[in-house]
Amino acid sequence: MDLLLTAAQVALAPAALLAVLAGTLLGVIFGAIPGLTFTVAMALVVPMSFSLETAPAIGLLLGTYIGGMTGGSVPAILLGIPGTPSAAATVLDGYPLTRRGKASLALGTAVVASAFGGIVSLIVMVVSVDMVAKLALRFGPAETFGLLVFGLSTICGLAQKSLVKGLIAGVLGLMVMTIGIDEMEGVQRLTFGTVVMQQGISLLVAMIALFAVPHVIDAFVDHYTGGRRIEAVADVRAELPTIRDILRDFWLMLRCALLGTGIGAIPGTGGPIAAFLAYAHAQKSSKRPERFGKGEMAGVVAPETANNAVTGGAMIPLLSLGIPGDPATAILLSGLLIHGLIPGPMLFIQNPGEIYQIYLAIIVAYVSVVAIQLLGIRFFVQVLRVPAHLLAVGIIIMCAYGAFAIRNSVFDVISVAVLGAMAYGLMRVGIPLTPIILGLVLGPAIEREFRTAMILSEGDPSVFVGSLPAAVFLGLAVLIVGTQVVRATRATLSARRTEDKASASVTPSE
Amino acid sequence: MTKGIFASVLVSAAMAVGLAAPARAEFPEKPVEMTILFGSTAQTIGQLLADLMSKHMPEPVVPVARTGGGGAVGYQHVHGTAADGYNIVWNSNSISTSYHGGKIGFDHTAFQPIAKISVEVPAFAVRADSGWDSLADMAADIKASGAKLKVGASGKGSFTHLSTEAILAAVGLSDMAVHVPYDQGRAPVELIAGRLDAALQWPGQFISHHEAGTLKILCVTSAKRISQLPDVPSCAESGAEGLDLVMWRGLAAPAGTPPETVAKLEEAAKMATESEEFKAAAQTIGFEVDYADHAAFGELIARDDRTIADLMGQLGLKAQ
Repeated sequence: MDLLLTAAQVALAPAALLAVLAGTLLGVIFGAIPGLTFTVAMALVVPMSFSLETAPAIGLLLGTYIGGMTGGSVPAILLGIPGTPSAAATVLDGYPLTRRGKASLALGTAVVASAFGGIVSLIVMVVSVDMVAKLALRFGPAETFGLLVFGLSTICGLAQKSLVKGLIAGVLGLMVMTIGIDEMEGVQRLTFGTVVMQQGISLLVAMIALFAVPHVIDAFVDHYTGGRRIEAVADVRAELPTIRDILRDFWLMLRCALLGTGIGAIPGTGGPIAAFLAYAHAQKSSKRPERFGKGEMAGVVAPETANNAVTGGAMIPLLSLGIPGDPATAILLSGLLIHGLIPGPMLFIQNPGEIYQIYLAIIVAYVSVVAIQLLGIRFFVQVLRVPAHLLAVGIIIMCAYGAFAIRNSVFDVISVAVLGAMAYGLMRVGIPLTPIILGLVLGPAIEREFRTAMILSEGDPSVFVGSLPAAVFLGLAVLIVGTQVVRATRATLSARRTEDKASASVTPSE
Repeated sequence: MTKGIFASVLVSAAMAVGLAAPARAEFPEKPVEMTILFGSTAQTIGQLLADLMSKHMPEPVVPVARTGGGGAVGYQHVHGTAADGYNIVWNSNSISTSYHGGKIGFDHTAFQPIAKISVEVPAFAVRADSGWDSLADMAADIKASGAKLKVGASGKGSFTHLSTEAILAAVGLSDMAVHVPYDQGRAPVELIAGRLDAALQWPGQFISHHEAGTLKILCVTSAKRISQLPDVPSCAESGAEGLDLVMWRGLAAPAGTPPETVAKLEEAAKMATESEEFKAAAQTIGFEVDYADHAAFGELIARDDRTIADLMGQLGLKAQ
């Protein structure tokens, strides 16, 4: 208790509070601007944290991380462009909600769900860091592979109309991520002998291209052809969710929060995977699954709860094992190291005070995030008043800058243009873009886990069914794909039969 | 944050102006851009170094991350810039692994060394319950049992992979081991979980576990022990005779950079490495400050390049 009070004194000192608040604000801004992500924000903040005391430095970094994770939902809901890869699943129902004039309601719900997910994951972390870390250790390459394939099978649910088109999209996503140097064998793939292609396609670049560019092209096409003006959403009232709205989805939020924490704790996974799994779960467990994709609030609540729960989950292997789960936690790790905090089992023994400071900083960050976003909603929704073609210009500039900022590479800017044009083409022929993102996110991880598992087992594939978690996840994936294929075939067959009947019955029989 | 953006805007603006400026005054008259090739600790050290060097120069040194392709992208970028000292690279042995692995078409001679800054020494760890106290123990046990040793390191052709192979060769286990490539520092976790028998990574990833007794660091790959782990023997002491492999980091500019420009950067780098802040960071991040001037650094790079070329040749990884 003494330790907690001492930690509170340090973590709640004005300088530390200010640092968390500044970090959160920065994170929300970077997360909310399409093209800029919190990974970039964190990379910019790290050098600033060198000169700060430990508590404000931790607060600044954590605030940026958490603010960014939550901020990503703002453009996902308002514009249909996710601010971070983790918010890609939020687009599915968030954007339709905006089109139905429920933008501020969706934004408000999203931020509350985010904070709920984050706080639940923090509680799980405080209570059971050792146990969860031990469980996460059991997740080796084979088990993680199973989990990822299970995640990939949710493509079926996202494929909307055509299963085949969904699969085409998913495979395209998997293929794009093979470009570059294969880190395991050190060989070049699809680089055409050039050095620039060796860096491969960054996930962020692909995401900007897939979501933002088609949107922008659409806006211009509509403007110049004077076509349909579906973007004109007149209703921009700031309507906040009531407590009752939020409590209605309480159990869903709790389940998704635990799911997100679990996924976050497993190295090699991350926010986007958790968000998509949560979305699939929400759809499966819903009483009206047919309304998903058309503006169902549960479709916003689930991914937002899960992707923020990942923040707490990812802190478990980071703090207890010293393993960063994603690029953002890797940056956090170097920020901790420079202040002499070496994550690992000894951190809890040597620096218990700092551990409490980290916990408190996370709580403060979530409180600030809720405050900032709820206050900000009335300003955010004003974006919808801007004519679509003017907004598109702003978006494309931010995307070009954001793509460049990731690695200071012009190649990435060109990639956005090329991939974006391709994405627009795909969209026009009815290939859904979300499965591509799933392929992009999961592709490199699936390949890596599969190959590592095979190397470890010295080429024996039975490792994937030999361990219980792997077998369960792979079994579930087979089940999902199987039922979907059967359903799709049946639907096609019956459609054909009605067609046959229709053409046969030239003369009305009745 | 705005400082970073502002600085990069400054750099680009300065570049545009610099092209038009006719006569040139004394170096530096605009910010110097330091290309950083890797993320994580390499980036953190690079950022700190740039920050400290800026204090000893009239113009700032701006760190710019150009990661990707195992360093190839950044080397290519700096290689293509003018040899005027305004573009320098935070380099490492990766110049040799990238060249010999066939990722870039030029080798270390395309760069003018400025100064050696630091070394990082990989550590070799095993499970705490393995019962092995030295490399010799491990080798004897594996040879007796006939089971293959599973060793985790970074991807094929990386420095940690080459060091692993050098250790295995020195203890006669080259044919009795499986190299399992890992990224993002996952090897220690896999080792604790028992899926690996050994792992070679940077000490920072092991130290906390070593102290907690969840795994055991057998040795470090340098000829001498390191200050971070004074009780851990060198691999040579532990059974891998004559082994001495360290990863150096330093600064280089495109070949042909004027000597007086190199001297100025060298001086700023020297001052930075002598600062208390840099020494403190070395302890917490886990590297050894090891300054050497451009001449000594050049000799080291050339010597190391031959060692790496030999190693990669033996492993069938040499592409050119």
